[in-house]
Amino acid sequence: MVSEIETSVSEALARVKDPEIPVCTITDLGLVERVQISDEAVEVTLLPTFVGCPALEEIRVDAERAVREAAPGREVRVRFTFSPPWTTDRINEAGREALKTFGIAPPLLQIAVPCPICGSLDTTLDSSFGPTPCRSIRYCNACRNPFEGFKPKGEF
Amino acid sequence: MSADSRLRLLLALADDELVMGHRLSEWTGWVPYVEEDLAMSSIAQDEIGHARALYEIASQLDGRDIDALALGRPTQDYCHAVICERPNRDYAYTVARHYLYDTADAVRLEALSASTFKELAEVVRVLRTEERYHLEHARVWFRRLAAGPVEARQRFSDALADALPEAMAIFEPLPDEEALLADGALPRSGDAMLAAWLDVVGKDLEDAGLERVLEAGADAPVGEVLPTSSGASEMTEDAPRTLRVPGLERRDGRWVHAGRFSGDGGRRGRHSEDFLPLWEEMTALYRAHPGARW
Repeated sequence: MVSEIETSVSEALARVKDPEIPVCTITDLGLVERVQISDEAVEVTLLPTFVGCPALEEIRVDAERAVREAAPGREVRVRFTFSPPWTTDRINEAGREALKTFGIAPPLLQIAVPCPICGSLDTTLDSSFGPTPCRSIRYCNACRNPFEGFKPKGEF
Repeated sequence: MSADSRLRLLLALADDELVMGHRLSEWTGWVPYVEEDLAMSSIAQDEIGHARALYEIASQLDGRDIDALALGRPTQDYCHAVICERPNRDYAYTVARHYLYDTADAVRLEALSASTFKELAEVVRVLRTEERYHLEHARVWFRRLAAGPVEARQRFSDALADALPEAMAIFEPLPDEEALLADGALPRSGDAMLAAWLDVVGKDLEDAGLERVLEAGADAPVGEVLPTSSGASEMTEDAPRTLRVPGLERRDGRWVHAGRFSGDGGRRGRHSEDFLPLWEEMTALYRAHPGARW
């Protein structure tokens, strides 16, 4: 049985946005690995997306604030762990859809990634490195727009 | 197994990434075109992030916070390989070092993913999923510059020849290597990793017709040995070769390392004259404003 406090903590976490991709929540991106609730405390374990991402500390602080509001009176601790490794497979369907609305193609292990603007598969990878550690730069030959792609990450 | 040995292993890895990241970040705003500017800056950001993750583990063993470890040590306490601190010079040297460093790092991280030092093995698993992009970038540029035109190929092969001897010292044994090997924190010796890396680099150089960067008297312009449509090239003759990289020997068709390093000492805190100016810039804010926060 899911208690009331569990529901409100997970709802609070599901409202924390990624500051660099504000259409996606950390739940959609699969950052939330574990939530442990006792009578005195709430401990949340998150997985970092890219290790050098400067938004991580901001995400941690935002998550702590959100959980504190959802669990008044309890001590709240949010920390990052490297195990298991975060992979782009952890992004859920809502997250993938939200990425598209933000102009970022969801991560795909294929050369021709559909253009998030017109949907064409006639696209190329311009550079694996983009404006943030998690994004690449792509180009659509059909609608002639440059766009960004979320970099696939995993042990493939 | 003393915590000290593990700390030194972590610092060697973290210092390599920090100093390499700092050097690459010097390209920000200066690369001839914008995609490459982003790539260099992004790789620099990754490397510094990787250093941070490693300093965090070190901090648990050492007690100092990560800023104190990254920025608060005197120069002789840094144990990165000397190759990392060398100035960028030009794009040819930057790419040559980037290729040599990232191929070496891939060998090292593969070995460390089997480390008995659990926290390190966990971080290494994550780092490998990011380093693959750096390696791919380095290989694209290796192929591009090695393929010419002649000036690019010449400058790239000269840069590889300059960087290679010092890059070998990435595998200079750590002072506590025996203890680390016995404990399993370091699953492969520096010598074993160096041999594995030389196989990778040797094959890439041969595929590009650039094995001459290793050879004594290889001062003739590389333009003369560009592959021809007939495939005929004087370089394909199997004449006995003298290698000019110190410590390198050719045995049974393979390049092997025979014990000496150029530019070694980094792992023991001995650095070149290039490190002090880098350290002064990198640590300036930390020293001027102790405890400063973003």
